Formats: sequence, C-alpha cells, structure tokens
Amino acid sequence: MAEVVDGEFTAFVHERGDALLRVAYALAGSQHGAEDLLQNALAKAYARWPRIRGDAEPYVKRILYHDQVSRWRLRSHRAEVPVAVLPERAVQRDLGQDSDLRLLLRDALRRLPPRQRAVLILRYLEDMSVEETAAALGCRAGTVASQASRALAKLRELVPALDELTTFQEAP
Amino acid sequence: MNGRTEEALRAAVRDLADEARGAPDIAGRALRRGRSLRRRRRVVAAGAALAATAVLAGPFVWLRPDPPAGPARWAAPPATSTPPPSGPAAPPAASTPSPSGPVAAPPPAGDWARGPLALPGGWVLTGATSTGTPAELGYALDRSAGRYVTSRYEETWAAPRGGVAAVVDYERRGELGLLELRTGQVRWVKVGSFIMTPHWSPDGRRLALTLMDKDDGGFSLGVLTVDTADYRTFPVDGKRYLCTDQCFFTWSRDGAEVALQQTDPDASVSESQPHARRGVQFFSPDDGRPSRFVPVKGDPDGPWSWSPDGRSVIVKGPDGPLLAEVATGRTIGPAPAADAAWVAGDQLLYRDRRANEMLLVDLAGRVLARQALPPALEANPVLAVAPR
Repeated sequence: MAEVVDGEFTAFVHERGDALLRVAYALAGSQHGAEDLLQNALAKAYARWPRIRGDAEPYVKRILYHDQVSRWRLRSHRAEVPVAVLPERAVQRDLGQDSDLRLLLRDALRRLPPRQRAVLILRYLEDMSVEETAAALGCRAGTVASQASRALAKLRELVPALDELTTFQEAP
Repeated sequence: MNGRTEEALRAAVRDLADEARGAPDIAGRALRRGRSLRRRRRVVAAGAALAATAVLAGPFVWLRPDPPAGPARWAAPPATSTPPPSGPAAPPAASTPSPSGPVAAPPPAGDWARGPLALPGGWVLTGATSTGTPAELGYALDRSAGRYVTSRYEETWAAPRGGVAAVVDYERRGELGLLELRTGQVRWVKVGSFIMTPHWSPDGRRLALTLMDKDDGGFSLGVLTVDTADYRTFPVDGKRYLCTDQCFFTWSRDGAEVALQQTDPDASVSESQPHARRGVQFFSPDDGRPSRFVPVKGDPDGPWSWSPDGRSVIVKGPDGPLLAEVATGRTIGPAPAADAAWVAGDQLLYRDRRANEMLLVDLAGRVLARQALPPALEANPVLAVAPR
C-alpha cells in the first residue's frame, strides 16, 4: 500500500511539480521561498494522499495560497511594511517600452502584501474568476474584489506608468 | 481596469512565475517530510483516542480530561560540555549520542501532553503554535492542571504564565481570542487588524499587538489586558520612530516596556535584504509614550531575548542572529538563533529544528544540555518557553 502511495505521489510531483513551483514562486517571490512553500504543501498532500489522490493539484494549490498568506503573520518571515522612500519609479517612461513596464510591474508585485499578491496570482496566472478565487482563498467574493483593488492601487503607486497606461487607454 | 492594464499585469505575473528554476528532488524531499508528518499525525491520533471522554469546549478546542499525570519523565540532561563517558549516567536507549556534546535526553514516552515538558536550564515548554491552514494542533500549558490544552485554531499563542492563551481564527479578522485553559471558553476581543503575531508580557497579563493602517502604513501599539479585556491603542509617530520591513512590538524582560526596532533612514533599502536598523525604541505600554532608545542594530524576538542583567540582547541582525551589547550596540558575536531565550548568566536555550531538540548552550556555543522534543511538535514552527 505504501509503495502504491509513494509511486502515485512521485508520479504526480514529476508531472505537475514544475507548474506548481511556478505558482509557488509567484506567491513567494523567491526561489528559496518557493521551494520551501511547495515542499511543505506537497508534504501535507502526501500525508493525506489516500483522501486527496483524485484531487491533489487543487489541494496543493489551496495549501500554497493559505500558507503563503499565513506566513506573513509569522515573525520569522518578512512583513511587507512600506518603506519611507519608494524604490525606482517610472514616471518618465515611454509607454511603448512594454518590457520595461513588465519588469517594473514584476518587481512591484513582489512588494505587495501576500494576500493581495495571492489574489492577483489566482486571477492572472491561474485565470480564475472572482468567485473561484474567493473559493480558493476561503473568503468572500467582495474580499477578493477589495484586495484586487488595493493591489492595483499599490501597483499604480509603485509603477506610475501603469496609471498612464490606463489613462492612455481610456482617453477618447 | 482596462484591457491594456490587465494585459500588462497578466504578463508581469507570468514573468514572475517564469523566474522559477527547477527544484532538484522536490518529490523526494516532500516524501521524506510527508512521512514525518504522517507519523506525527498517527502519534497525535493515538493520543486523542486515549482521551476517550474528551470534553468539547469550543468549536475547535478540546481539553484533555485525564487527570494530570505529573511532570513528564525526562532524563536529566548531562550538564557538561564534553561527551559523557559510557556508564551508569548514560540516558535510556532512546537517546541519541552526539559527536559534539551531551547526549540528548529522550522525549517523554506516551502522551507527552499530559505533563509539563521540562527544558534544560530550569525552563519549561509553555506551548507551540500551528500556523497556516489546514490548522495543525497547537498547545498551551495549563500550569494549574499540569498538562497541555490542545487547540485547533490556526494560531495558539501560549503565555509565559497564567491560565490564558491567545488564539487566532483566520475567519474572525480583527479579533483575538482569549482561551481560558481551565474551561476551554474563548472570549473574543475586537482588536482591529494586527500584523505579525501577538506578544505576551512575561507575566502573562498583557498582550502587545502591532496594528498597521493599510492606507498610510502607520503603526499603532495595541495593549490588551487579559483580566479585564481592556484594550487600548497608541499611535506611533512613524516619522520619528521609523520602522520598515519586519516590525512588531515585543516586551522588555521586566514587562515594563515594549520595544520596536527602528529602521536606519540613511541606509540603502533593498527588498531582498533585511532593512538596516539604527536601534530599538522602547515605549510605555501604559500610555504609549516613548521611554528610551538603545543603539542595538537588530530585531529582538521577545522578553527572553534580553539578558537577565539587561546588558546584552539577542537580535536578528542583518546577516543573521547575533549577540549585542545593549548600551553601545556593539556586536558581541553570533547567536544560535534569533528566537533563542537568554536563560541565565551565559546560558541560551534554543531549538534545533533539524534535530527537533532544545539545546542549552553557553555564549561560546558549547552545548551544555540537549533535550529531544516530542515528534508531534516537529511541524509547529514556533515554540513558547518560559522559566519553570
């Protein structure tokens, strides 16, 4: 029995490990954090494998999201407290420089509080709807909307070019 | 959000995810960790099955109804810095010989939670918390009954003394629960949105919370008095007392003040590194007024970070845990762990996570005693300890 479980679990990780690591990386923002996060989630999945074997990937992802958000509160992990002086801004950037904008946005994503970042990961990496995101995070749809709104506001603050993009698009 | 913004955001999120590099042997590592988790759960399940008449005291909490079995049986740790010779003083067979110091005393047999776990240096394990979901068991020592109460809340913060633990339910945002260990009753107190973790005063009578206004990033100190559930908040002048990165109020060793680490405003800031500190600012928990400043460049973990004589402190420094002189901020040397407890004189107590042991060491790093922890605690990321 144990050999069957080990075999199934190993096959699952080999098949889906890279995809899960991408999600973990986007959540944690670093390779070390991602591996740590994913390893813990997979270990929990293994311990419950007989009960979740048919639904393992959603289970692992749920743990990834919850653990990452929870870790924020742990003293042993870095809290995301705003610095007095914001890092590099992109006020004067040419909006045509999409790769620069993406680079700035990518760095700004790392600076979001984990809950806000998790919402964006679910919505834009996992392509989940607001309702699906709410279900994955175990919160209300309204909470997802408010977190997404705050995340966007923070990103605009960190990357003003994003705001200009919005203005550019919305201009008649 | 318009289409172009959404498109840019989607691309940036994927760029971020694409930075992930393949992790070698993630399956093997997860397997080993998973097996350990499963063993631990079996131990817990066996313990729970023995408590046949468990009393449900709350939605997630149960108390162990068995009469206290007295202190768990621990083999006295060898109080020596050299490996003990084989002979009558050798611990039982469960102990593990160490090539670098005393032999570890074994964990108590059977249901370890039925008696206080004595730790080297005259200290005791007061609790362990689960974090994240699915919630693992948390523990808090009920000193009057001489046993641990288990909790299924996402976080369980045991107090150094007294009969109350603080619990956090992620579904009750902005509230903190006060769990009466004797009865299992929980009083929920509205405290507002706090960050990091609640910190107990050394006498177990008050809790310090760190509140952050998400709109302006400003901090407030929240102080909750357990007996009366009186809760007061004191805003902190964020410009004068700047703290960025990891920020949380902790207690001084005598419980008369709370401390908040201070960011060095002149240092360069990198989000990939801990922010540089200029010192630690103390405040009064009674009225929130600033009281004194010490030039220690790091983050203290709690009241036990400060030496009993107040001259030295263990902090999380920019490059790792270190010992510092309080008056000058001078670094004395490395510390074994940022959350090590300064037990007495030149003795520190800390947890070796890899070995799942508590180690008593001197300031030179020599191991004076080791005690193995129950496997059930392996997955609890934070342990609480206090003088016995």
